[in-house]
Amino acid sequence: MPALMFNLALIWLALLLLATILLVIRARSTMVRLLAADVLTLILVAVLVLFAQREGAAYYLDAALILALLSFIGVIAAGRYYRSGRPF
Amino acid sequence: MWREILSGVLIVVGLFILSVSVYGMLKMPDIYTSIHAASKAAFLGIMPFLISAMLNGNPAVITRALLIAAFLILTTPISAHIIGQAAYLTREPMETEGAIDESGREGSAESAVTKAGD
Repeated sequence: MPALMFNLALIWLALLLLATILLVIRARSTMVRLLAADVLTLILVAVLVLFAQREGAAYYLDAALILALLSFIGVIAAGRYYRSGRPF
Repeated sequence: MWREILSGVLIVVGLFILSVSVYGMLKMPDIYTSIHAASKAAFLGIMPFLISAMLNGNPAVITRALLIAAFLILTTPISAHIIGQAAYLTREPMETEGAIDESGREGSAESAVTKAGD
């Protein structure tokens, strides 16, 4: 029963990932694209947390933490570069 | 037993909030309204997953989940602010019906009003 629930949740998250990837590809402007990429990494963090819960292993959460960190740095750098032509 | 039920309910809540967030990003007309859907709802959507993972009682999982939660609480508003600031300073148009720019900078609605007053 719990395994079925995790699999259904993972399939639903995969559909959300697909929708977000389509949004990244077909966005109206650069900033919407950057925002969609940010949400994409957040959904990936959710996928990794679900995996950690399903396998009972903590090391998936390390990857989730580093992914969140890298996404934050990337959004800051890209946003500031788009605004003023240099990252910092 | 109650732990499994509670973690299942939390996962469903998180999936619902994430779905609302992605739907909002698809439907909102411009960047300034998309930021609402993306930053608030996506962050709130991760929290139920983390709490549901913490219910396991494994200390290694709990510390890492707390770290992720604290980090996301700190960084989500900052990245949303950076995106909004970059969009505003590069004069991204406001497509929402009835939206006006009241900042008073050149080209905004407020500066047009003051010029008419002069």
